[in-house]
Amino acid sequence: MVLVLDSLTTAAVLFIVSSGLFMIFGVLQIINFAHGAWLGLGAYATVVTTALGVSPWLALPLAFVVGGVLGGLTERLVVRPLYARPLDAILATWGLGIVIGQLITLAFGRDVQMIPVLMTGTVDVLGTAYSAYRLTAIAIALAIGLGFVLALERTRLGLTARAVIMNEALARALGINTARVRLATFMLGSAVAACAGVLLTPLTSVDPNMGVIWLIGCFMLVMVSGSSVRALALACIVFGTAQVAVGTYVSPILGGMTVAVLCALMLRLRPKGFAGV
Amino acid sequence: MREAGRTKLAIAGLRSGYGATDVIAGISLEIPAGEICALMGKNGMGKTTLLKSVMGLLPLREGRVGLDGEDITGWTPARLLARGLGYAPQELPLFQDLTILDNLRLALRDDRALAPALERVFGYFPFLAERLNQKAGTLSGGEQKMLILSRSLMLQPDLLLVDEISEGVQPSVVQRIARALLGECERRGMTVLLVEQNLGFALSVAHRWAVLKLGHIQESGENDAAAHARIMEHLKI
Amino acid sequence: MSDRMTQSRGLLLALLLLAAVLVLAGPLFLDRFTMNVLTRSMIYAILALTVDLLWGFTGILTFGQSAFFGAGAYATAMVLTHLGGAPEHFVLAFVLAIAIPTLLAALVGWLSFHQGATPLYATVISLVVPIVMTQLIFAGGQSTGSSSGLVGYPTLALGAANHFRLAGVVLIGFGCLAWVFVRSDAGRMLVAIRDNEMRAAYLGLRVQLVRILLMTVLGGVAGFAGFLLANAARMVAPEIAGFVFGTQLVIWTALGGRGTLLGPVAGTLGIDWLGAKLSGELPFLWQLLIGAIFVVMILFLPRGLAGLVPRRRHQGTPPELVAIPTRRRADAVGPVLSVRGLGKSYGSLHVLESIDLEVHRGELVSLVGPNGAGKTTMMRCLSDGTEPISGSITVLGRDIGGLPPERIVRLGVGRKFQLASVFESLSVADCLRLARMSLDRPSLLRRSRRIGLPAPAIDILRLTGLDGMLNQRAGLLSHGQKQALELAMVVALEPELILLDEPTAGLTKAERAMIGGVLQRLSGELGHAVILIEHDLDFVRIVSQRIVVLHQGRMVMDGTVGEVVDSDLVRAIYSGAANA
Repeated sequence: MVLVLDSLTTAAVLFIVSSGLFMIFGVLQIINFAHGAWLGLGAYATVVTTALGVSPWLALPLAFVVGGVLGGLTERLVVRPLYARPLDAILATWGLGIVIGQLITLAFGRDVQMIPVLMTGTVDVLGTAYSAYRLTAIAIALAIGLGFVLALERTRLGLTARAVIMNEALARALGINTARVRLATFMLGSAVAACAGVLLTPLTSVDPNMGVIWLIGCFMLVMVSGSSVRALALACIVFGTAQVAVGTYVSPILGGMTVAVLCALMLRLRPKGFAGV
Repeated sequence: MREAGRTKLAIAGLRSGYGATDVIAGISLEIPAGEICALMGKNGMGKTTLLKSVMGLLPLREGRVGLDGEDITGWTPARLLARGLGYAPQELPLFQDLTILDNLRLALRDDRALAPALERVFGYFPFLAERLNQKAGTLSGGEQKMLILSRSLMLQPDLLLVDEISEGVQPSVVQRIARALLGECERRGMTVLLVEQNLGFALSVAHRWAVLKLGHIQESGENDAAAHARIMEHLKI
Repeated sequence: MSDRMTQSRGLLLALLLLAAVLVLAGPLFLDRFTMNVLTRSMIYAILALTVDLLWGFTGILTFGQSAFFGAGAYATAMVLTHLGGAPEHFVLAFVLAIAIPTLLAALVGWLSFHQGATPLYATVISLVVPIVMTQLIFAGGQSTGSSSGLVGYPTLALGAANHFRLAGVVLIGFGCLAWVFVRSDAGRMLVAIRDNEMRAAYLGLRVQLVRILLMTVLGGVAGFAGFLLANAARMVAPEIAGFVFGTQLVIWTALGGRGTLLGPVAGTLGIDWLGAKLSGELPFLWQLLIGAIFVVMILFLPRGLAGLVPRRRHQGTPPELVAIPTRRRADAVGPVLSVRGLGKSYGSLHVLESIDLEVHRGELVSLVGPNGAGKTTMMRCLSDGTEPISGSITVLGRDIGGLPPERIVRLGVGRKFQLASVFESLSVADCLRLARMSLDRPSLLRRSRRIGLPAPAIDILRLTGLDGMLNQRAGLLSHGQKQALELAMVVALEPELILLDEPTAGLTKAERAMIGGVLQRLSGELGHAVILIEHDLDFVRIVSQRIVVLHQGRMVMDGTVGEVVDSDLVRAIYSGAANA
């Protein structure tokens, strides 16, 4: 039972953490290596709320705003000139990630931060006591996933974004301001990533470079998902389960690389990954 | 001879292309308001490039474009659409994975004017109304062409640029397309720049014609009795 | 040899000498801290060179060199820790430090480079490899020292000064080898692959194999560097195998100047040494500064610091063009090309349907038809056997089903693309050399002074004046000259069958006439079979003997020029009246 719950909650966490990167890659086809830094920023929003003595939940709106603003600046100043050089965009955003990581270090020090958890306690699930927060993560992941699907399929902005993904030249010919769609997407993706950073705080230690550990896993999951939300969800469930299984039965250390290795193998055998499943 | 009316579209010395090549090299063309001008020419002669350049999708290297006497050179597609230009492209013209309805919606900036605009195009192509939720990619070639034309008419453009709308389309559908174009021209005085390879269709709707060859206008004229023979002279092998 | 060339050679030799003196004499005046740091920096510079050869020259962005480096270092440290420091153990450590990363790199190369893999995929793999490596080290427990690494094992007892000298000598030696290699004929292949992978494959070059070999060899070099570090530093830690160190190598390379050799070395030495000096005082500021400079560089100075140095133009005396005897064509009976029932569809869309076609030696067949008739698709099917099709295509009696383009080129099919496709950053001479590489084995060490080409290729160059521009960068040629150069490259392959997709698009009248003359000579006098896609029907009428008309994916006519030109059907197609 614990195994099932572990698998589900791991998948949920992977989904939450990947979603910002996924949005940006899905629409812009740009791999944002500053993603790890956005996660870090979000986590430090919790440090700020703690210092101010307010509820850690307030870190969510704070992270959303900071992430959005920085994301907007990043798109405008760093990413926009590099749309034609996608490999260089990886490097430039990685460099930006270093800058943000060091700025956080300068402001808060390099030590691991102690912050109050968002939620404590356990819930009894069919006779097993299980962390309430990890269960909440499932609900949050579902909410984000549903939010994605609804926003993409039900709103005008979603329709426009899909049009830009499918055929940017035609979208432009129809008068869609594709530059604005890109900017909005990057801002939203960064904001969501920063919020994911807040949500990570109870599960991982908070230090300036905490995002880097998550970056590669997210990146690989997004690579196998293309621009399909459903594919991302499926990838998180399959590879999250595999990670828990390897971690439990083989070695917890090897569990950490399961996602990356399986994704790489999958791309070799099936270059489209889960997209189109 | 038809009395020369007000000039709707004026293209002067247009030069444009891709990479190192000029595909069109100094084209000048004027179309009077309310008329349909058929632009003929074999493949690769620059017809699509001309339309893209006018529509703001390719940077101009030289020349000017005027609409109703106003200089619209270098405007973005969004601004041109708002100013009354319409465009029915030939290359990758539809969002294949979106429904008919979504394809039509994307012609408008918001959904407020959607219902009346839909009603208008359904008047020409009723099949669209019955299959609004069908994916565009699953339509037949002729149906796709009708959808492309419908989308370009959603905003009721004053000047419509049409790229090979009859390509690969059966004669009965070509007739329906012709009726829609002529209908809009008569009802609202729309002007059309019609890029075509189908001579029969072109001459059945156009008021005037021009032939494009190697990036230049080779010859142009009114759609009179001699037009067919003169154009054929340029199109044959 | 021209004066300027001698001069630049001289400059280089002087530089080399200076470097050697510095490396050998350095320990005499450097303090111990600086010496230790520079020893490490020089080892890292070797790694930066391997990153540069992969990324700067060949276009493979890799974060994975650290993994091979770590494998080499750990192999060394583990042998010396667990087996002891006897001489034979050092030999074993040395052999394993090179062999293990080499094998690993071969595996990674095989995984990364395959038909249809995107450049991004290799980058993805290069991220995974160091992660796997670090996790394995962490999971290794006693044998790898887990997170604290290995320390206190016996090392080569050279003393700090001699470790410094050893690292320097290896760096200089590897730098020289790399310099010789990238300037050799074979080395030009790397840049060709970076510039235009497709053209390289369609010249019969085994692009994926070259990449795998390069990665394998450079994996071994990285392992060797790991051996040096494990001995010089007397400790190994998991970080050296990790992804963050991999990105650091890329940053040093980028800042110094990708695609040059001095740049990455200077970048690594400078930044690593400065970093060691400054990080004591301003640890975070230093990283911040490097990160910020890196972002700005990528945006505004993608060629790195080397971009500030004006690029030298190709100089020296141009090589000589030599006519080589044309290969004797096998007098095999039967057609050069035979297509049976060819069909091709994308989903429910049929682009080609039941095409039958035979082309014989000395025939020039024009393929005409309106847009979307399937002409270019057909060319693709004829030159790439991995395209899923129905029916069969045989070239000189051999079924090409499943064969990748480079194999089909080697069977005797040359293809010229619709848009002029040459190697933009190489000289005209190098483009021509590359065209011959699948036939004449290139030297790994020397750049040939003469280029042997079949007579018709030389004719094309003469007629277009390209023979006088051999040192010109191909990217600077006019559109017409590029078209002519690509045609000359295709002809240089001496193909039995030449596929030409609109070779005259965008050319002037005079250039068209010239190309027309060459095509007639290729088919008429020299017996090549030629298939030509052309929109300009006047041109078709002049050059072809036979015209095939495609319309909506079907072959509607196949006849002589007279038959086709005067037919009502073709007239109807071209006036749009023949739509289904």
